[in-house]
Amino acid sequence: MRFSTWEFYLREAGRSLIRNRFMSLASISTVALSLVILGVFLLGAVNLNNVAGTLENQVEVTAFLDEKLQAEEIAAVTARIKNLDGVREVNYVSKEEALERLKEQFGERRDLLDSVEKNNPLRNAVEVRTKTPDDVKTVVQELKAMPAVAKVSFKEEIIDRLFKFTKAIRLVGLAVVVLLVGATIFLISNTIRLTVFARRREINIMKLVGATDWFIRWPFVLEGMCLGLVGSLPAVILVARFYKWLAASVYQTLPFIPLLPPDAVLGCIQLLLVGIGVLVGAIGSAISIRRFLQV
Amino acid sequence: MIEFCRVTKIYNRDIKALDNVSLSIDKGEFIFLVGPSGAGKSTFVRLLLREELPTEGRIVVDGIDTGRLRRSQVPFFRRRIGMVFQDFRLLPERTVSENVAFALRVVEAPRREIYRRVPQVLHLVGLAHKSRAKPAELSGGEQQRVALARALVNNPPILIADEPTGNLDPDTAWDIMRLLVEINQRGTTVVVATHAHEIVDRLRRRVVALENGRVVRDEEKGAYGGEV
Repeated sequence: MRFSTWEFYLREAGRSLIRNRFMSLASISTVALSLVILGVFLLGAVNLNNVAGTLENQVEVTAFLDEKLQAEEIAAVTARIKNLDGVREVNYVSKEEALERLKEQFGERRDLLDSVEKNNPLRNAVEVRTKTPDDVKTVVQELKAMPAVAKVSFKEEIIDRLFKFTKAIRLVGLAVVVLLVGATIFLISNTIRLTVFARRREINIMKLVGATDWFIRWPFVLEGMCLGLVGSLPAVILVARFYKWLAASVYQTLPFIPLLPPDAVLGCIQLLLVGIGVLVGAIGSAISIRRFLQV
Repeated sequence: MIEFCRVTKIYNRDIKALDNVSLSIDKGEFIFLVGPSGAGKSTFVRLLLREELPTEGRIVVDGIDTGRLRRSQVPFFRRRIGMVFQDFRLLPERTVSENVAFALRVVEAPRREIYRRVPQVLHLVGLAHKSRAKPAELSGGEQQRVALARALVNNPPILIADEPTGNLDPDTAWDIMRLLVEINQRGTTVVVATHAHEIVDRLRRRVVALENGRVVRDEEKGAYGGEV
């Protein structure tokens, strides 16, 4: 493709944008609005996903060891557990350490535990974290099969419910994103359809003198991409401002909500929004011109 | 150059626009396609441009069977045919030379070629001095010349004019016809669909008369009405 051809496409796109400036403005606002909604939603989804992820990773299996094991046997068992498929990390907790933790949890009323100090009823244990939450069940089975392990504890019901919850969040999130992108494409293609309609004479003449379909399409696609790009800029700024404000106030007043820091998520989301804007513009105009090419 | 072989075109199942038309036009010929409105002239032109395909029969233009042409090849096929219409079909917000250059841009001609060819064809149609004017500032005859220049700028072997003088007064119509004849003398095959009696009668070229979708007459040096 020649350079002068691209110059021609760009000039055509620019001409059309200026000639239809009110229509262009309308589509830019539409894009901006949809992208703001999409952006806010994406931020929400990312945060929920993050929360779900942390919750999932907190799932822990505890293997209580047989009381009669000697120190070297304990080390061997711990090593064996660590080598099981799906195990990410293990942490040996002696019964003395367990008691210390308990005391910490009791805080000021730790004196209540003084009586059990001499005859510690707790057991030595190995805390196991799995690589993925899905590994929990198999790891538990393996642990139960070990003679050195007296008892395995994990919260099965909670895990199942948690999985269902996080899966639902992800599914709903995906559906909403698809819906929003679809709506934006529809709106852009409607706007560009008007500019295409206004130029159908020109398209007709282009076909007549032997223009290929892509030659006719490119100026419109560029126009759509331009609308998408320009519309995404205010959206990106607005979304960033909103999230920074939200993060600042949440950190101040509700610090226990694990909101992701703006610097960690905004860059990615902003890039994504601009990308979606441009892509949606291109797709929207390609859709709207299709009908006029069928001569 | 143009070969219609038992061509039938039926619209909406029962409207026969062309009925078993066979016609052969040689390279370098000048022919008039005449007949009342609705006789099938426009359908003939549309089939020739491969805007539509015949219901039955075969059309071969410049060695290409339009029925076998892939969709992606249609634009390249159309570049071999220059086309002029009754309503000129110029782009109103572009100047004369931009309108003509448009046809070259579309085929991705190099810029140097555009700068060379556009003044050339504008000179040929006698509009070199109006190259910066917009179509609205021109008379009907001048607009049709711009359309002609646009049709010719790619050097197509075939030129088709669909009622080229329909919107023009008799004097201007003659100017356009003279231009078409001149273009034909330079070797281009010219097909003119028209119902301008005087022109057909005076020029005495090959005349193909259509009526109700059939070729009712095809004669060398014919006249509009058929009385030689």
